[in-house]
Amino acid sequence: MVRRLYVHNFRCLENFELPVLGQSSVLLIGNNGSGKTTVGLALEILQKIARGTNRVDDLVKPKDLSRGRIDVPVRFEIEVELEAKIYEYVIAFEFPEGFKELRVLEEKLAVDRKPVYTRNGAQVHLAKAGREQEKEAKFRIDWHMVALPIVQEQSPMDPLFIFKHWLSRMLILRPIPSLIVGDSKQETLEPNLQVTDFGAWFSGLLAYAPAAYAKIDEYLKQVMPDLRDIRNPVIGKDSRSLVVQFSNDHGSLNVPFEDLSDGEKCFMICALVLASNVHYGPLLCFWDEPDNYLALPEVGHFVVALRKAFQSGGQFIATSHNPEAIRRFSDENTLVLHRKSHLEPTIIRPLNELQVSGDLVGALVRGDVEP
Amino acid sequence: MINRYKPHLLVLPEDDANRQLANGFLLHPSLSTQVQVLEVAGGWTKVLDCFRSDHVSAMATYPNRTMVLLIDFDGRQVRLEQAKTVIPDNLKDRVFVLGVWTEPEALRAILGSYEKIGRAMAEDCREETAATWGHELLRHNASEMERLRRQVRPILFQ
Repeated sequence: MVRRLYVHNFRCLENFELPVLGQSSVLLIGNNGSGKTTVGLALEILQKIARGTNRVDDLVKPKDLSRGRIDVPVRFEIEVELEAKIYEYVIAFEFPEGFKELRVLEEKLAVDRKPVYTRNGAQVHLAKAGREQEKEAKFRIDWHMVALPIVQEQSPMDPLFIFKHWLSRMLILRPIPSLIVGDSKQETLEPNLQVTDFGAWFSGLLAYAPAAYAKIDEYLKQVMPDLRDIRNPVIGKDSRSLVVQFSNDHGSLNVPFEDLSDGEKCFMICALVLASNVHYGPLLCFWDEPDNYLALPEVGHFVVALRKAFQSGGQFIATSHNPEAIRRFSDENTLVLHRKSHLEPTIIRPLNELQVSGDLVGALVRGDVEP
Repeated sequence: MINRYKPHLLVLPEDDANRQLANGFLLHPSLSTQVQVLEVAGGWTKVLDCFRSDHVSAMATYPNRTMVLLIDFDGRQVRLEQAKTVIPDNLKDRVFVLGVWTEPEALRAILGSYEKIGRAMAEDCREETAATWGHELLRHNASEMERLRRQVRPILFQ
């Protein structure tokens, strides 16, 4: 579970801290341009690092500096509790005058406050793993490369392995259903932002944990009672394509995944999120506007299903403008983001610290909710 | 989406605080998906107005529908009877009037967040206990809760 996310000098986030400690699910609300999606982008940078992107220019560009402020480092800090240990990862980038790309200024991974490695500029300092015979190690790497993907982990018990896996398996979702076709040539547990690799995620999840199908089936039959099953037949050399079978008293129908409606594809994504959190979680799921593409009567149930699932482990962060989605969160787990203008940074405050009278959605429509 | 042709429950909350109590109820891990919390009415009299104008005829159309009107009692013993006057006789066994004796803010000050209280209320319903419903700000609901337990519990926890 994320205890702390701190971002500085990245787009509209300046000295920004996301207050999610102890919350299994959180909703981010705010006007367009207030910074909700940017929180997801900050998480995406950390996820990309863990998934192996180590070239700084592939992560952060000069245009990402808040209002072009090149004399201030861009900083990302995340503190996570995993298996009763506190992991803290810090990375800061600088943009020296005359350079074309940003470079690493500082980097650190610590577990329970003890460093696994620290880095200043090019110099990386690996701490002893605990065994007496091991020595501390120092080495230099290119300033334009992030160390986390490079530092070798010793075993699946290694804190470095545990943290990298958790970070790389974060689900950061902004699906575009029309681009999701259900075909796959490989397997993954790390779907992309737009979930265009849904087929590979489905295949990867079931290869990793075949029992996950029960969870997928349980959820989908609640929202699509005529669902019979999902098949993933081989259609060519090393390639599969999802087919969804529906049936009722009058017969049955096979529908290629790509022909499902946008909303139905979102149900499928939700089912995989729920099953993934059970079978390879606990996960952090950041879903930018999960209510998109859903019919009005579905929105509340969809949000509640996700909130319920993450109560028993992991963390769910959603953004939304949808009244029904907003109503399924409460003041204690709703965070309001606000910017006075494009020249000022994002402010964030829990809704329960604001004075909102009457119906929250009504107050939002009137523009009366302002930190 | 709830299936209107199977037993289901609609909750009509008076205000935002009651909505958040209902949210907590929805988050109970064992709760059925056949429960839907409706838009806030904006006051206990508006709950009754809304029930009369929007729900009486719909309840006749959908015989598997039950409703909870979630109102504040504002410390008035007569509130339950006042509320029941708008419920037609043919719907009386499918409509329940529940709420905090004063207002939910008082309950929150004692028992914690609305969602936590709502979850505890659901747990009481499931386990047939009264750890939360027995609180002095909630125990006036005992007769409605007994009816609810008999008729609605199978919908809530299938």
